Amino acid sequence: MEPVDVVIVGSGASGAAAAWSLSRNPSLKILCLEQGERTDPANYPTTTAAWELSRLGDASSNPQQRNGPGDYPIDDSTSPISIANFNGFGGSTILYSGHFPRMHPSDFATHTLDGVGDDWPFTYADLEPYFTLNEKMMGVAGLVGDPAYPEYDALLPPVPLGPMGRRVAEAFNTLGWHWWPSYSAVNTRSHGGRAPCINLGPCNTGCSQGAKASVDVTYWPSALQQGVTVLTGHTVQTIEHDADKRVSGVHVVTPDGNRVFQPARIVVLACGGVGTPRLLLNSKSPAFPDGLLNDHDQVGRNLMLHPLAFTEAVFDEDLQSSLGPHGCCILSQEFYETDTTRDFKRGYTMQILRGAPPAETAVSAYMSRRLPIGPDHHPAFSKLFNHTAGIAVITEDLPEPENRIELDPETQDATGMPGIKVHYRVSENTKKMLAHGIDKSRQVLEAAGGKVTTAFAPVRHTGWHLMGTTRMGTDPRKSVVKPNGQAHAIDNLFIVDSSIFTTSGAVNPVATAQALTLKICDNLQDYLRQAS
Amino acid sequence: MTDIIHAFLDTILPSDQTLGVPSGASLDITRPTSRDGIEQRLADVATLIDQTAHDLLESDFVTLSSEDRLKIIEKAKRKDMRLMTAMIIHCLRHYYTDPRVLRCLPAGAVPPFPVGNQMAEDDWSILEPVYQRGPVYREVTP
Ligand SMILES: Cc1cc2nc3c(=O)[nH]c(=O)nc-3n(C[C@H](O)[C@H](O)[C@H](O)COP(=O)(O)OP(=O)(O)OC[C@H]3O[C@@H](n4cnc5c(N)ncnc54)[C@H](O)[C@@H]3O)c2cc1C
Ligand code: SF4
Repeated sequence: MEPVDVVIVGSGASGAAAAWSLSRNPSLKILCLEQGERTDPANYPTTTAAWELSRLGDASSNPQQRNGPGDYPIDDSTSPISIANFNGFGGSTILYSGHFPRMHPSDFATHTLDGVGDDWPFTYADLEPYFTLNEKMMGVAGLVGDPAYPEYDALLPPVPLGPMGRRVAEAFNTLGWHWWPSYSAVNTRSHGGRAPCINLGPCNTGCSQGAKASVDVTYWPSALQQGVTVLTGHTVQTIEHDADKRVSGVHVVTPDGNRVFQPARIVVLACGGVGTPRLLLNSKSPAFPDGLLNDHDQVGRNLMLHPLAFTEAVFDEDLQSSLGPHGCCILSQEFYETDTTRDFKRGYTMQILRGAPPAETAVSAYMSRRLPIGPDHHPAFSKLFNHTAGIAVITEDLPEPENRIELDPETQDATGMPGIKVHYRVSENTKKMLAHGIDKSRQVLEAAGGKVTTAFAPVRHTGWHLMGTTRMGTDPRKSVVKPNGQAHAIDNLFIVDSSIFTTSGAVNPVATAQALTLKICDNLQDYLRQAS
Repeated sequence: MTDIIHAFLDTILPSDQTLGVPSGASLDITRPTSRDGIEQRLADVATLIDQTAHDLLESDFVTLSSEDRLKIIEKAKRKDMRLMTAMIIHCLRHYYTDPRVLRCLPAGAVPPFPVGNQMAEDDWSILEPVYQRGPVYREVTP
């Protein structure tokens, strides 16, 4: 293959932002290699009434259930939380909900403030210009003026609360607790050449309207226009380095099964929180016998997953709760910051979610014996559907070395590359946080007039946020990359995805991950200038 | 077998005049997932409920009243919980993704695109108490 200046591995949230940012320099020859295939919005499940069924197959967020062309085996059987992702052009943003809150200033200094985790090697203020740029590129709806954050510049108009959101918001007001309309990567009006949301709801199976900011419709069109080449169906199996410990390129399996070498001056990894450590661990050499950059046994460790609690209540009235995009409708950060009167450190976000769609409502209510079959079925169903409100509690997951991924020699993907094994347990601190979150969720739903029918934690199929496995720091013995995303051990290898998060915060990661990618890519341009 | 399965569907998901929803028997529940072995499971369910009807009420399942059919289905569930639960869930999923059913629910517009629902205007004065409390995030001084 022709040598390139930069090869980016992975085309998801961070790979796309990196491709766009780096290709603003027209002199760079950039290639992105993506193991999955392109999806076609014209054929998304949302173009049929039976879209809910696709969540059990092609549009499942569980790679084992989906078993698509870009998926690899993940053994998470011993973890209470299973891994969720999407491996295709656009990565997991194809299926994501589009919740888009930033991390908070305190998230960057957990050790200094609370004596837990580690401080990030920079502050919220350092990242702020990149948050703003990224929100403009992605198109984020919300309302400026949130007292839980330093000031935002501008956002698209917020997604409407709907009757359910309004009801729960009033309850938050009664309790005197913080709440705010969600930050949603959803076009509430035309933005970036994309159409506005049509308020249907099935965003988690892909948005055929192009209103949800998945990166195939945000960063990628500009990056492609700026000259980036993308090859889908190309799995990077290993990264090669020379005797001077400089990366020389990557070994790739092409769609027809050929093994080729792609030379590159710089390699940028954006394979996601489990894909990036998997590729490094698989890249063994005499200098790195346990995997590339793993000289201090740090690669794959400190996996953070944001354990989630879920509480649901049923209301007497039809609150039209199932209508509208998924990345909605309210968040509360009343319990986000550490409070020394509580028995845990750090905190959580409460996200008030849209009600379940019809089939999910019926199945989950039947399974929990709240919905009969027979003549009483329809009257009972109509008292449930559109009558529910759910609260997801997203807890800050602190880094722990024992929470990790490893290569699984027992399994392989279609190209022969090993799958992974997940070792993860929920910490005592998090367990207390989850219990507290359920208690507070109950309180607010009851204040809204609802009857709580479901409350449990951790929810198993919620390993959507994959962070920390190649963490960033200044000490090479405790981290894998430097504060600028450059590997400690190899000069021309950079990691730009949420694998490098030092701590996890308690918000959905993409807003912060992409801002971080943009910051790293600015530094990378400087590095390239100096190198040439 | 077809008659038994129709009677089964009509029993678990009967039509409802008030809501205008059709009977489950009017859906083709075998079509969308025919690749996952549904035919065999339907045959197993048909055999189980018909056998249970014979054992307990000495009658074909299809000739029973809907009340008795429901009782038989409950008994069959106790005999093979896994099979019966999986089948009922399968039927619920297909019923609640059928456009004819969805149009009878207060579910708003039904895909395919581009039909959608109006984005309502909100009155954000409801946030007044939140503004009044002032900042709730922690300042970090370097
Ligand atoms: C159902 C769901 C809902 C979510 N909701 C939200 C939300 O509301 N808000 C939020 O902030 N986050 C959400 N997330 C998480 C969010 O989508 C991810 O955090 C984000 O996409 C991660 O970006 P990434 O670039 O690190 O990885 P990804 O977007 O997953 O992209 C990684 C890409 O790399 C490719 N790749 C991996 N290994 C290789 C290899 N060896 N060779 C070639 N290609 C490779 C993969 O195929 C994949 O396409 C959700 C995720 C899911 C699954
Ligand atoms: S609700 Fe809006 S964002 Fe979600 S899939 Fe529909 S059009 Fe897209």
